[in-house]
Amino acid sequence: MKKVWLSIIMMLATASAAGCSGENARKAEEGGSSPEKVTVILDYVANTNHTGLYVALNQGYYTDAGLEVEIVEPTEGATATLIAAGKGEFGISYQEDVTIARTADNPLPVKAIGTIIQHNTSGFASYAEKGITSVSDFEGKTYSGWGGPGESAVLEAVMKAAGADFSKLNIIISDGSGFEALKDRADIMWFFEAWDNVKAEMNGFPLNYLELRQLDPRLDYYTPVIITSESCISENPDMIRRFMAATAKGYEYAIENPESGAEILHQYAPDNSLELLTASQRFLADKYRVDTDTWGIMKDEIWDNYTGFMVDYGIIKEAIPAAECYTNEFLPAGKEAAAAAQR
Amino acid sequence: MKQQIIRLLPAFVTSALILLWQIIVRLADIPLYILPAPADVIRALFLERHSLLTHSWVTVSEALLGMAIAVLLALVLGVMMDAFGSFKACIYPLLVVTQTVPVIVLAPIFIIYLGFGLAPKILTVVLMCFFPVVISFTDGMAAIKRSYINLLRSFGAGNRQVYLLVKFPAAFPSFITGLKVAATYSISGAVVGEWIAAQSGLGYYMIRVKNGYMMDKVFACVVIIILLSLLMNKAVLLLKYLVMPYTRKHKI
Repeated sequence: MKKVWLSIIMMLATASAAGCSGENARKAEEGGSSPEKVTVILDYVANTNHTGLYVALNQGYYTDAGLEVEIVEPTEGATATLIAAGKGEFGISYQEDVTIARTADNPLPVKAIGTIIQHNTSGFASYAEKGITSVSDFEGKTYSGWGGPGESAVLEAVMKAAGADFSKLNIIISDGSGFEALKDRADIMWFFEAWDNVKAEMNGFPLNYLELRQLDPRLDYYTPVIITSESCISENPDMIRRFMAATAKGYEYAIENPESGAEILHQYAPDNSLELLTASQRFLADKYRVDTDTWGIMKDEIWDNYTGFMVDYGIIKEAIPAAECYTNEFLPAGKEAAAAAQR
Repeated sequence: MKQQIIRLLPAFVTSALILLWQIIVRLADIPLYILPAPADVIRALFLERHSLLTHSWVTVSEALLGMAIAVLLALVLGVMMDAFGSFKACIYPLLVVTQTVPVIVLAPIFIIYLGFGLAPKILTVVLMCFFPVVISFTDGMAAIKRSYINLLRSFGAGNRQVYLLVKFPAAFPSFITGLKVAATYSISGAVVGEWIAAQSGLGYYMIRVKNGYMMDKVFACVVIIILLSLLMNKAVLLLKYLVMPYTRKHKI
């Protein structure tokens, strides 16, 4: 009986302190040729944010790097928790989420290792006929969101800056309603331009759109980002470097060939029309790596800006240094580029 | 002595399990963002008591309103199905179908037509709760011996009297059984409704704290949902105790 308890406790202990693809890495070392198994956990269903990953998988970039990659889509947004628990090596997350995870009462040991898009391409969308053309028009309207920790703070900040009364905005949490709901039930939603706006446009639904980074430069944070766990960083940095090199190659391909990038993604996300994926891919092609030569590279300034914002609005208790949240060291251009970015 | 031990056994087993949970989490050093220890949950319950109370109030009112509508609907549909055989033949299969459609499919439709207020949550509660009540009520009425009704008919009783004197009293025990099931579901029904769209309530609170990796608060919220569900269940037992004095063999 005692043994049973002990083994249960041991099992739980190993589950919680799971390392980085420990078994596979060891096997690879012993066998030499067998590829390392790596799991990537997306943030949501597969979409054009993830094209580079699927291209790298489809074009064999991962295989060339000695990796056997499996991409899984979570049903619930628990990616950072799963990565922290060692259920996958890489995850797709957001700058805000990483900062909050790192500053939680019991911090999650995760770190961002590359941004997929250089700028925040999200903003506030409304039905064009409602005439919501500036933030001051938000007064007396209904905003429908997802209940993220920083969400209401962002709204409060931009409304304050525009001299509007934030208390006159009605905020609700909602799941599962698309742009259709902007007509009757809600007035404002947080849209990702490459996906939601393209979708609305294809359906002939006219939008007014206010880009977040135009409203407040502090809100130009990285979304989405690729994360990994600290145990991966300390145990298998070489694997991370190979993974990021192959992934970068995948995104470079998507930048050069938006049409065939969309076609590859369509094989893995057949529920979406190729038309939507192509339109979205064309939009993103020059956004993935705008203003820089190195795909994925991040800057301290961007992290510090939004961390400061979150401290100001009480979303997190105290600031956390950018270096604890992200690193550029695994990107193909390596340390020189990282140094250049900080200069 | 032995009886006392047997009576205390459930409480003992529960406490032992909670203690075991606490020990395992601490020994295995499981981080808070995966599984909080009971002590963390109790602390969160205390620290968050004000928010939990205000959100509970919202959820409870949704559940009660939903239950009231569900019961009313169940009574009307039950009597109609009992009175008209062809109506029952048409409706009964549809009632079963309503229970098989996942709420996630209905959610966007509810929002489009009912907005973000209390209505979609109440409808979710109604949808989850009226089924057990209507089924048990109808089956209870259908199970009555024909001879009882014939006896009343022979004294010249009309439909109204047949229902009031025989069918309702006879179907009441099974109605209560259905109601007990429904009452237990009502709170989680309201929480599911709040996941669809909300600006207050326990479901709303749960999403917010989950997004902040505060699993101790998520579990505290679950504890409240469990307590409220048990309370609803007990309330039905109290109703039975008051309405059916002839069944007062056991203490509640």
